[in-house]
Amino acid sequence: MTIGLGHFLTVAAILFTLGVLGIFINRKNVIVILMSVELILLAVNINLVAFSTHLNDIVGQIFALFILTVAAAEAAIGLAILVVFYRNRGSIAVEDINMMRG
Amino acid sequence: MGYALSLSEGWDVAIGCRMTDLVAAYLPLAIFIGVSMVIAGALLVAPYLIAFKKPDPEKLSAYECGFNAFDDARMKFDVRFYLVAILFIIFDLEVAFLFPWAITFGDLGWYGYWSMMCFLGILTVGFVYEWKKGALEWD
Amino acid sequence: MTALFFYLFSTVAVASAFMVIAARNPVHSVLYLILAFVNAAGLFILLGAEFLAMLLVVVYVGAVAVLFLFVVMMLDVDFAELRQGFLQYLPIGGLIGLIFLVELVLVVSTWSISPDALQVPLASNAPLEGITNTEAIGRVLYTRYAYFFQAAGLILLVAMIGAIVLTLRERAGVKRQDISAQNARDPKEVLTLHDVPSRKGLPESVS
Repeated sequence: MTIGLGHFLTVAAILFTLGVLGIFINRKNVIVILMSVELILLAVNINLVAFSTHLNDIVGQIFALFILTVAAAEAAIGLAILVVFYRNRGSIAVEDINMMRG
Repeated sequence: MGYALSLSEGWDVAIGCRMTDLVAAYLPLAIFIGVSMVIAGALLVAPYLIAFKKPDPEKLSAYECGFNAFDDARMKFDVRFYLVAILFIIFDLEVAFLFPWAITFGDLGWYGYWSMMCFLGILTVGFVYEWKKGALEWD
Repeated sequence: MTALFFYLFSTVAVASAFMVIAARNPVHSVLYLILAFVNAAGLFILLGAEFLAMLLVVVYVGAVAVLFLFVVMMLDVDFAELRQGFLQYLPIGGLIGLIFLVELVLVVSTWSISPDALQVPLASNAPLEGITNTEAIGRVLYTRYAYFFQAAGLILLVAMIGAIVLTLRERAGVKRQDISAQNARDPKEVLTLHDVPSRKGLPESVS
């Protein structure tokens, strides 16, 4: 049995769904939410690379490269904000992050 | 729908040989990982099978200079480790961007050269900033 | 052979991604995240994207996951307390996840690609031309996509400065050596010599 584009897209879809699910069921834990975002970005990368191979076009991989860069920067800044928030409030629960609510 | 399916089958025929080529090129790596996993698993399992076991509560208790353990063994890390890790990520990515540039350096021309120099210059600005702020100093 | 490795990598990746969101201990979550990334790198190799596979291992496993691990270790949080809403949100989360999955599967199973897209690749993929994947990336990344490349550099700069601004604290009472200040000191300005008269000592104004 040969492995086609559809197989890779299915894996990416499952990973994406797991990421979204992770955001919903770990609503209190910011760290796991950030990890779920990383999973979602990984699913997107798999999609881009699969299409890049399918269309024989390297641009998809270049886009995936930039997504990786942005994801690393996002993780760094997100965790920095988390560290500062923990230092100020002593908690990382999501429901405590409401000081900007009107 | 039938069109899409036939299209992706055609893709497999055209590129399938190339994919198996690539997998074949990575086969030594797969064998290496497999062998190392077998060895690690064997070393993990072997003590359970052949070691002499006769546990009692005193042997299993945590020992700390004659006292019971005061605290959890997991202790908090200092935040400065985190800063070092972030700076490591940034420069890790910078070096990752250097690899394709180094490979294709011969036929990139001046535009590619100055493109990379501009990129390095931008990150050097950040490097100078962190140096001046003292983010690299430990105490 | 390819099929075997595809199913191996994708099964482990999906299983470990599930464990990322289901594990009780966030440290385990991070370790499962690493496993998921390693297997995704395997999938990338099956797709022929060797450079991205390398990057995934080096950047994600080597740096980002370690950063997550640091943060989990650094914050002394009672994680059992944070998991209390787990079962409460499971039905709605499961419902939304299911809807997402059904939608995605519907899209994946019915789409088709325009033949024009297959005819003219913007920049051809590597191995058909006898050059490596990394080389194919390098040929277009620094010239045709130079602006995006510079934007990536700026994003990294912003990330670096942001992380420093957010987490760097000046510690009070730390004595640092300032070598240039030490070297710039002049004996004429900081040192005065006095003749101390015997049995009188220095006058009050000097000492």
